[in-house]
Amino acid sequence: MPKLTINGIEVTTAGPATILEAAKSAGIEIPHYCYHPGLSIVGQCRMCQVEVEKMPKLVTACNTSAADGMVVTTNSPKVEKARRAVLEFYLLNHPLDCPICDRGGECPLQDYTMKYGPGESRSVEPKVQRAKHVVLGPHVIFDQERCILCTRCIRFCREVPKTGELGVFARGDRSEINLFPGQMLDNAYSGNVIDICPVGALTSRQYRFQSRPWDLIRHTHSVCPLCSAGCNVVLDVRDKQSGNELLRINPRENMAVNRWWMCDEGRFTFRYHHDPDRLMLPLVKSGDQQHTSAPEAVLDSVASALAHILAAQGASSIGCIVSSRHTNEELFLVRRFFRDLLQTPHVDHRVRPVQMQASDAPEDAILRRTDKTANSHGARDLDVLPGPDGLDTAGMIEAARAGRLKALFVFDEDLAQERPDLPVADALRGLDLVVVTSLFRHATAALAHAVFPGLGFAEKEGSFTNYQGRIQKIHRALEPAGACRPVAEILGGLAGRLGKPLGVVTPEQIWTEIAAQPGPYHGIDWQMIGPEGIIPSEVRKEP
Amino acid sequence: MIAEETRHRFDALVARYPEKRSAMIPILHAVQAEVGYLSPAAVEWIAQYLDLMPADVMSVASFYDMLHLEPVGKHLIYACQNLTCTLLGAEPLIRHIETRLGIRAGETTPDGKITLKRMECLAACGDGPAMQVDGEYHGRMTLEKLDRILETLQHD
Amino acid sequence: MTETGAFEKVLTRYQTIPGYRGTLPEYEAHGGYQALHTVLGKMAPAEVVDAVKRSGLRGRGGAGFPCGMKWGFIPKDSGKPVYLVVNGDESEPGTFKDRMLIEEEPHQILEGVILSSYAIGCHLAFLYCRGEFVRGAQVLQRTIAEAYDKGYLGRNILGSGFDLDVIQHRGAGAYICGEETGLLESLEGKRGQPRPKPPFPAVSGLYRCPTVVNNVETLSNIPHILLRGPEWFTAIGPPKSTGPRLFSVSGHVARPGNYELPMSVTLRQLIFEHAGGIPGGRALKAVIPGGSSSPVLTPAHLDVTMDFDSLAAVGSMGGSGAVVVMDETTCMVRVGEIVSRFYHHESCGQCTQCREGTAWLHKVLRRIENGQGRKEDLDLLLDMCDNMKGKTICVLSDAAAMPIESYLKHFRDEFERHIRDRACPFAGAAGVRKH
Repeated sequence: MPKLTINGIEVTTAGPATILEAAKSAGIEIPHYCYHPGLSIVGQCRMCQVEVEKMPKLVTACNTSAADGMVVTTNSPKVEKARRAVLEFYLLNHPLDCPICDRGGECPLQDYTMKYGPGESRSVEPKVQRAKHVVLGPHVIFDQERCILCTRCIRFCREVPKTGELGVFARGDRSEINLFPGQMLDNAYSGNVIDICPVGALTSRQYRFQSRPWDLIRHTHSVCPLCSAGCNVVLDVRDKQSGNELLRINPRENMAVNRWWMCDEGRFTFRYHHDPDRLMLPLVKSGDQQHTSAPEAVLDSVASALAHILAAQGASSIGCIVSSRHTNEELFLVRRFFRDLLQTPHVDHRVRPVQMQASDAPEDAILRRTDKTANSHGARDLDVLPGPDGLDTAGMIEAARAGRLKALFVFDEDLAQERPDLPVADALRGLDLVVVTSLFRHATAALAHAVFPGLGFAEKEGSFTNYQGRIQKIHRALEPAGACRPVAEILGGLAGRLGKPLGVVTPEQIWTEIAAQPGPYHGIDWQMIGPEGIIPSEVRKEP
Repeated sequence: MIAEETRHRFDALVARYPEKRSAMIPILHAVQAEVGYLSPAAVEWIAQYLDLMPADVMSVASFYDMLHLEPVGKHLIYACQNLTCTLLGAEPLIRHIETRLGIRAGETTPDGKITLKRMECLAACGDGPAMQVDGEYHGRMTLEKLDRILETLQHD
Repeated sequence: MTETGAFEKVLTRYQTIPGYRGTLPEYEAHGGYQALHTVLGKMAPAEVVDAVKRSGLRGRGGAGFPCGMKWGFIPKDSGKPVYLVVNGDESEPGTFKDRMLIEEEPHQILEGVILSSYAIGCHLAFLYCRGEFVRGAQVLQRTIAEAYDKGYLGRNILGSGFDLDVIQHRGAGAYICGEETGLLESLEGKRGQPRPKPPFPAVSGLYRCPTVVNNVETLSNIPHILLRGPEWFTAIGPPKSTGPRLFSVSGHVARPGNYELPMSVTLRQLIFEHAGGIPGGRALKAVIPGGSSSPVLTPAHLDVTMDFDSLAAVGSMGGSGAVVVMDETTCMVRVGEIVSRFYHHESCGQCTQCREGTAWLHKVLRRIENGQGRKEDLDLLLDMCDNMKGKTICVLSDAAAMPIESYLKHFRDEFERHIRDRACPFAGAAGVRKH
């Protein structure tokens, strides 16, 4: 465990470390461009040079090991001059177009120039002109003039997705980063190059010109809902005249889950929150038509239909299929409502075979997993499964077609689409009551007697349990659109109307109940679920 | 695009090196000699042959002055423009070639016969001003010698 | 004739043999491969390393690093193969002696390679030959084939039990591949971008294995050292710059060429006695003593001896042994423009200071030469040089900065005149002309 001195402060590292890592652990900033903790070290930008006692030249902190007794200075006149020089060299041919650059305001080149750079340029030579706004792929656009050749993007493509689309072509000051002719930067993780680009050279085609960093009013911590990996994310929201708008999703570092990365699907799939085709009001069927209705009226009619079926056919004529896209708290309430309050055993979350624990597998060697729902693990942990003599998803569809089931609740699953092997439409047409929650008017929703507009993950508070069994919180970045209501309110409204109030409302209240009952989450306090999540078995192992 | 025989030659070449990738520059030279220049298709062929990404191969090829990513003439004149040769009068000679061929250094004559390139030190300073024509050294260059060389190339 | 003029040639002795073409029989006929017979199986590798250490042989490529010491850095029993790589990528402007040795006395290099490989425990050696050396590459290929046929390469060489294979590898045109780690990258099929050091090649070089990189001329000395003994070698030249050295003399001299001499020769002797002085009765203005990277010297320095330490003491360096002579018609701003254009062209581009600095230096010098200079440009150039030196992965950046600093140091008035007159005062003169 090297013990060294940095700027007079004694630093002991936890293990072998570079000077840069040692400084970071002590909260001392050493500016750098080419270094990235997730990529190989090249030591090319020369920005991280520091002075080390007894060494004749400045050394690069990124690739010099911290050693016992080392005396490091990161702010000596010699270091400051070297840094100022690197920045001056970078800016020689930089277009200085910060006012129209997406990165402006969150740009390491801008930030370090303000902090360490020269106040004005000494160059009178004409700037070298290079290619502007080159489309590299479906998500990334490139401005060659802003590029400082740190090669992070190249190393990312070579080392993480291992697709190697990018390279440095030519040499010296003619060097430029580019694609091989005819190729595209279209790997499944291409968006990460936008995050790691330390200048405005690589920007997002989706986010481009949408906002300035200081216009983003909220940076909400959440978890990507698009597969069971549970990548940690930040949701960036801008306040517009038309209302709050989710504009960008970036990965959030979690070394135990996604490290620094996320896939393009997770990063760029969120515009549905603001889709004009989204359901904003509940729908009720009369005759062959569905028409919008006030939420309370729909709750009334569903509750009375349900009460009628319960009285006439009993609880076992009611089924519930709930998507494992829901939070633990939502799933817990669904289970409580159907299994405990109504007392039907027919509850399942498994719509696709991949949702079985043994089937969920890595889709690649990086992050993506084959179970495209966020919370199958949570659904299993919370026993959102058929009870004794309960039917699974296929069993419920079959029982509905055979007339043994009278009512079916479907929470956020388009069964007709997902299970073309099952006679979903036939089965649902024969039921007395079909209640669906959904964001859109899909094939299954079209068959429902009542449709409640659902919430997107950015509108929810709660937790997911990823494939590792790690419980991770998601937070609300957007207020629910239109008359869209959380599952808790829908179920609470029904329960109340049936005379069996659920009693709990907020995710924290629900979680407290989850933690109080026996099961995998027993004893896990809401406050224990920190920004990096928690795996209950790992906590319990500790004394 | 690449003859079967050449491919066999590459197989033998690759086998000599502890790591396959080491055969890169020899293969780039050989493919350039066979195809005329390193076209995108040629680069892709090499990438596939060496189990590399085309961008990686192109990145290497574009690093070296003697590897051409654009077509070059049948004959290649490398004119040294470094210090000793310039001290000894390389500039007027290079300009003479440009005038006579009607091209600038870096360009190829419209008939595709001759490409002129300014080169840095060719390690022939003892015989400056020096040039290389199709790999062969010509030292102590004079306007008369140059004209004879250009004459031969133009009529080839 | 002076003392040095009577010097008995070693590396270029072949030049005294009429009609010599450097084939194997010819090389053997004048004593070639005798060292191999003397050493292989008869001297322990450690003894060979020791002899080279005692000879004081310093690298002839540019840095002048003691060869035996470099060999001594190879770790014992690393469990990995050891490689010898011959640096035949001669490209330091002004230098043309390695090309001569490759084309004219290739077996001397190869004998040096075999002996050195034996010393360091290498069984696969690489001859990296500069891409532009088309004929040199053909000669080396022939040389290697001859040596295999004769049993000097391959299995159980001369019955000693020592095996060695040699592969010739052609470069493709990049000065930076003369930097030893740039060369290794190139040999591995990559861009010739120098590697951060440490680790040094002796520990982690080619294919991450212990590697020695030696220059062509350095290796050519090895057979002679082993045959005639390190004491013979140390008797040549000053104590810390032992052995013969090839000086490539070019520019404004009557007899440009390679001169093999002890490093006790003075700059004056080299230019005026060996190379025949300056033609046309013109006066000497400046000399670059060790390749274009070395700081320039003036007539005031003519009595410096051409050894590593004496050249360092006058603020320059022995470098690659390339002596470029410039007479009074030479414009030093134009020289700066040409030299900086070269480094601008050759920077690999990975380090910020070098990529941007070499280009900026060139542009400012070109502007001054073209009469567009500003007073503040001279201090700007010096500060730029300071910002480029000692801060990059390899020393190309330093090599670009040092000569420019020296031109400004010795010829500042000439730069100032360009700026004041808004024109090059040498335009139309016989020397380095504008175009």
